[in-house]
Amino acid sequence: MEEVDNIILHSLRSIGCEIDEDVVSLKEFNTEAIVACSVRCIKTIHGDVDLPNTLPSAMSAKFRMGTSLANHLQELGYRGDVGYQTFLYSSEADIRKIFMFLVDKLPKEVVETTEEILGSSVLLQRNIANTLSRQLSSPWVPSSLKHKGIAWRGKPPTWQREGTCCSFHFHSCNVSAPEGSGDLSKKIPKALKSYYQTNLPFITCQTQDYNDIVPSVLEKNAADVTAQMEWENEWNQSGLASRLSQQEYRDRKRQRILKRITDQLRQDRQRSEATSGSGSSQDLQQMLASMGGRGTGSAKTKGSRFTHSEKLLFAKDDDKAISEVTTVLPAGQTEEEKQKEREEEVNGLKDELTSLTSRLDDLDLEVKKFTASIQQMEEQISNQNRSNSEKEDGYKVKKRTLDLLPDAENNIAKLQSVVDSSAQRLINLASQWEKHRAPLINQFRDLKELSSKTESEAQLKLEEIKEFRKKMKQVQDDARGKEELAKQLHSEYERMTKDVNRSAYTKRIMEIVTNIKKQKMEIDKVLVDTRAVQKEINQLSGKLDRQFTVTDELIFRDAKKDESVKKAYRYLASLHESCELLINTVEETGVILREIRELEDQIESEGHKKVLANLEKISKDYQQIKKENDTLIKKIKGKS
Amino acid sequence: MELSQSILDGLTLAGETSHIPDKCFSVLVTRAFDGILDERHKQLIAKDPSFRSLDQAVVKEAYYSMVALVSEASKHDLDINSISSVLEECKYTNERIDVFNKVFTSKKPLMQILLSSVGTSPPHIVDVNWRLDYYIKNNHMERVNEAVYLIELKTEVPGTSETKDVQFSCTQEQLQDLVGKLKDACKCLEKISQM
Amino acid sequence: MLLMFDDKHKNHLSFLTDIDISVLQEFCKISIEFIKKGANTKVYQSAAQKLGVSAETVQNGVEGLMYLLTESSKLMINEIDFQDSILTLGFSEEMRQALLELYLDRRKEVRAILNQMSMELPHYHNLEWRFDVELASRSLRHQVTPTVTMKLHTEENGTTSTQVLQTDPTNLVHLTSVLEEALQEIKSPYCRRIVRNIK
Repeated sequence: MEEVDNIILHSLRSIGCEIDEDVVSLKEFNTEAIVACSVRCIKTIHGDVDLPNTLPSAMSAKFRMGTSLANHLQELGYRGDVGYQTFLYSSEADIRKIFMFLVDKLPKEVVETTEEILGSSVLLQRNIANTLSRQLSSPWVPSSLKHKGIAWRGKPPTWQREGTCCSFHFHSCNVSAPEGSGDLSKKIPKALKSYYQTNLPFITCQTQDYNDIVPSVLEKNAADVTAQMEWENEWNQSGLASRLSQQEYRDRKRQRILKRITDQLRQDRQRSEATSGSGSSQDLQQMLASMGGRGTGSAKTKGSRFTHSEKLLFAKDDDKAISEVTTVLPAGQTEEEKQKEREEEVNGLKDELTSLTSRLDDLDLEVKKFTASIQQMEEQISNQNRSNSEKEDGYKVKKRTLDLLPDAENNIAKLQSVVDSSAQRLINLASQWEKHRAPLINQFRDLKELSSKTESEAQLKLEEIKEFRKKMKQVQDDARGKEELAKQLHSEYERMTKDVNRSAYTKRIMEIVTNIKKQKMEIDKVLVDTRAVQKEINQLSGKLDRQFTVTDELIFRDAKKDESVKKAYRYLASLHESCELLINTVEETGVILREIRELEDQIESEGHKKVLANLEKISKDYQQIKKENDTLIKKIKGKS
Repeated sequence: MELSQSILDGLTLAGETSHIPDKCFSVLVTRAFDGILDERHKQLIAKDPSFRSLDQAVVKEAYYSMVALVSEASKHDLDINSISSVLEECKYTNERIDVFNKVFTSKKPLMQILLSSVGTSPPHIVDVNWRLDYYIKNNHMERVNEAVYLIELKTEVPGTSETKDVQFSCTQEQLQDLVGKLKDACKCLEKISQM
Repeated sequence: MLLMFDDKHKNHLSFLTDIDISVLQEFCKISIEFIKKGANTKVYQSAAQKLGVSAETVQNGVEGLMYLLTESSKLMINEIDFQDSILTLGFSEEMRQALLELYLDRRKEVRAILNQMSMELPHYHNLEWRFDVELASRSLRHQVTPTVTMKLHTEENGTTSTQVLQTDPTNLVHLTSVLEEALQEIKSPYCRRIVRNIK
């Protein structure tokens, strides 16, 4: 009962009913409190209900209010007998029921407003609303009193921007800082190290404009991070597949890029030479050669030397361009003769050039002709040599046969045996070769299999590595997301109101449920027992009846003849009657005991209803109404 | 927040007692903040006596990583826990983490003010002056007899310390129109602030 | 107050005293057109031919009439003064009536045209506003900075120019309250007294 009262009081307090602090149970509610709270409840449920908040003093008004409250309650769906008397002359049990009903109707509206979806957009809106209300309510300060356009306001001083006099653009310059100065495994060249120690200024002094420091630092970090990520991506995809170490992969990449640049430059140089006709690009050639030479040199720290040579290259190009431009400038504006001279010179030189080139072409042609004829001659010579050697061989064979002809038969036999023996030798050698060849071929096959296996294994391992990296990234992302979620939920949890101890209530409810289950079991047991006892009683009474009829008949038959048997029969009859009487009285006692219990219960419940107090109240109110009626009648009579 | 490997290396360097002793560490942290926030202090790190005994390249690298960490952390508005986890990854002892956190929390609003000053905006209205004239006549007409307001809006332009003025005139109806529109704006703001 | 006419003016107008009412009304219309759009010489020619006088006389007459109208509109003289002023010119009763009607009808138009000639300051035309909240920028993430951006349209001599301005909530509230005060100022008793007394 206390918990129910607690819950009711708590909900009533939360909707705004004014209840004294030391009111702990519904017993202590007086009529005014009851009326006020129920009016409050009805107003919260319905909205605008035309009821005064407190109980008026006039009796008739009280009566009217009571009936209207009862009507409202019935409209809301309260099943039960309710009239003005339930509010004005109340009993505890009735009030408890009514308040439980009202409070039950309440929470659905109240709870909905406190249950908000705390998503990030709502959080953002709340943030914006808070900042805005803070700024709207802060007093205005003239701009001369604000330092750099910032005003500090509030208890934990927070800043807000109210002027843009000190804004500046995001402008970043190149800044540098030492790298690896504490890492003993990396070797920094001495010159670089001394530069780091003595000449390199601190990072905050490296930019010309002081405002650029933070943007430059942020940009440098962003560039480095992007370069790192790009390198990781590239390494994951093509670097691992190439199966070189990191350093070798980088070297190979650098060489490829250098080669492409030299090729491109060479092509451009040739193209530019063809169009302009000027020849001297000695410097460029030198640079290209030296670049190609340097590229195959030892590995250096990536980037710096490469950019250095690139810069030099383009510097030379610029120089060449500048020199070309300066020679083309028309300088002879002062004297036309000089210009004519120069023109003549130029023309003469041009003619020489054309003649020289034509001669060069002719000579080229001749050289080509000669080389062609040389080739022809060489072919003829080789043909001749071949035919010579063939003829020599043929001559030798014929000479031999001629020598051997006189001793023909012997020689033929000898030759035959020589042929046989050489054929035998061939067969021997072939078999030996086979013997050698077979194991070697097996070895070759084995090694091939081994290498292909290792290749496939390496392939598998590479794929596994890729998988692992992917998983790592996924897990990292998941972890990040979960951390954010945890933060959000944590902040939500801290913000939720904890004034109603839900876990205690739930525990209590579970206890009550188990209790009820136990009680139900016990009731069932008792019922079973009762039924068993009832069955026994029935059995026994049935047995008794049968026994009695049997004995009765038995003795009655014999009673006609014998006196003692008649006496016995009479005794039997009286025994039976008295036992029946006993049984009846026992039953009646049981019935009366039950009635006593019921009456006691009724007395208790009637006692709770405070009938006496209410009766007094009613009689008092009745007297009051009578008095009011009399006064009203007097007034009417007085007026008329 | 992502920090490049060189910055992380520098931070680890700054956390090692062999390179930066404990006394110098707190000075390094405060100098990093001062160097960014105040132009007059940007040279202080170079002249600071407590660093003279150490290897200057190490000091410069540590200083750079501090500056970068501070800027990135303020930019992303990190709380103490995230920064502590970053520093723990760089193998910092708990005392150094506490020293850093204390200075960071006290100077973070100033850093964020500095970062919020980066950017451009249209001229920002800070004040308004008005003047009410009664227009009687001009050289073409007499008996004009109208009330004329001259409004001057004082605006701050990013980059200049002087206010730039925007002047215009209005009749009473025009001023009512203007005030009506401004009141609409104020009401809209109040409605949003109460949501 | 009365208009003072110099002799040249009187000479020009004396031509008009001898003509019919209807012709006078024609001349009135022509002079109004002159004030609105400028001189129309063809009309002068045709009128001169009809009336049998030189075109110059016609022009003088029209210009005189126009000058009469502009001066009286400029000074905003009332009916009685106008009538007294033109008494001296020698018009007949009905002509004077016609001239008075003309004056009273066209007074506002003429004043509006005269107004265009006077000096003009750039005046307010329109104000558009919008409310933004800056949530992040390149150099600072996670901020909540409310701003109100406004476009002020001002007009000067027919050309409108716009200016984009910005303010924050505190300054906006201050701005609104100051301008409201300014608006209230015109209803104060002091201003009302001045308006009443300067007529």
